[in-house]
Amino acid sequence: MALEHFSTYFDRDLATHRLVQDLKADRDARELLHRDEAAVLDAYDLLPAERAGIEQRDFRALYLLGVHPYSLAQLARLLYGTVEGAGASEASSALVESLLRDEPAPS
Amino acid sequence: MATIATAVASAHAPGVTGWFEKASPAAQQSVGDAFTALGDQIADARLDALLIIANDHIENYPPHDYPDFAVGVGARHSGPDEWFKPWLNVADYEMPGAPDIARTLFEQLAGDSLRVVSAETMKFDDNISVPVTMTGFATQKIPLIPIMQNCTVPPVPDHRASYAFGQRLGRVIREELPPGLRIGLYGSGGLSHEPGGPRYLSIDEEFDRWFLSLLADGDHEQVLRQATHERMEAAGAGGTAELLSWLVVMGAIGEHPCDVLCYEAVPDWRCGVGAVRWTL
Repeated sequence: MALEHFSTYFDRDLATHRLVQDLKADRDARELLHRDEAAVLDAYDLLPAERAGIEQRDFRALYLLGVHPYSLAQLARLLYGTVEGAGASEASSALVESLLRDEPAPS
Repeated sequence: MATIATAVASAHAPGVTGWFEKASPAAQQSVGDAFTALGDQIADARLDALLIIANDHIENYPPHDYPDFAVGVGARHSGPDEWFKPWLNVADYEMPGAPDIARTLFEQLAGDSLRVVSAETMKFDDNISVPVTMTGFATQKIPLIPIMQNCTVPPVPDHRASYAFGQRLGRVIREELPPGLRIGLYGSGGLSHEPGGPRYLSIDEEFDRWFLSLLADGDHEQVLRQATHERMEAAGAGGTAELLSWLVVMGAIGEHPCDVLCYEAVPDWRCGVGAVRWTL
């Protein structure tokens, strides 16, 4: 199934958006995310599918649930790390690989 | 009446500061020279304030409560926001604001169909950090007024709404600010990119070159007919529409010739990078 434009799925009320904004602003929470991810996620009212998407790094599922792509890109960097001086970093590659997982091969 | 003394626009792709050297030497030269030219133009314009209009990137406001425009009315502005530092690789900067001018702009622009808010402090990522660093503006001590724009959270004020906001901004600058003030405008964002989407690693070079040539022709009605919000989204969802900030500048100045200073499609930058200046 080809992904539609993100606005088809966008759900502004998903707690993932707040999670990402909070993590960007809080170094301690970012460190905790890497030590004890569940403890960070427990503090948010995530839908079960939303939480599973984060835990499984299933960005495609999160996109289909309605997480905004900007927040997805930042979530990927929060989970995989920001690599200094990197272009196509591990975070962006993992994100795109997940998003295109079930796409038909280009003709 | 105050004057719009300079008007420019450029991309703010994080790769331009964060991983500049991934581009070919020729592309680095071309983009570096263009930002230097913008910096010289800003310095030569003897500005009382520079307005940078840029996508907020869901940085200062949550998506469930998102304004269309936010005017930075603080006395100081600093950046980049801490989390973005290793990504952007720019020196910390602190710049004076222009609270009196900014408050007049806010008061005159608020209250129509768009939701316009103000903020004393704002966090900046690549949207402000890349242009102020690459142009050298960060160290020029010219007052900055950041105007954050919603280019990406549906419903986005489209091409005509952005241009109309620019027309109102231009009127307020000319009619409501104290006489003699010299104001600069900088549209920050674009060109084609799709941050966080399935085409995250792609650039639509054909769209970018077409858009820049359309601007160079200088016919704003043609720009508004053809370079629609929908067309921008087709060239990279959620990111290319940062060109709406360029349309704000165009609305404010009206029809003037435009020089394209550079364009490079560097795959590792994941964003078409161009810069223009209008002859006023």
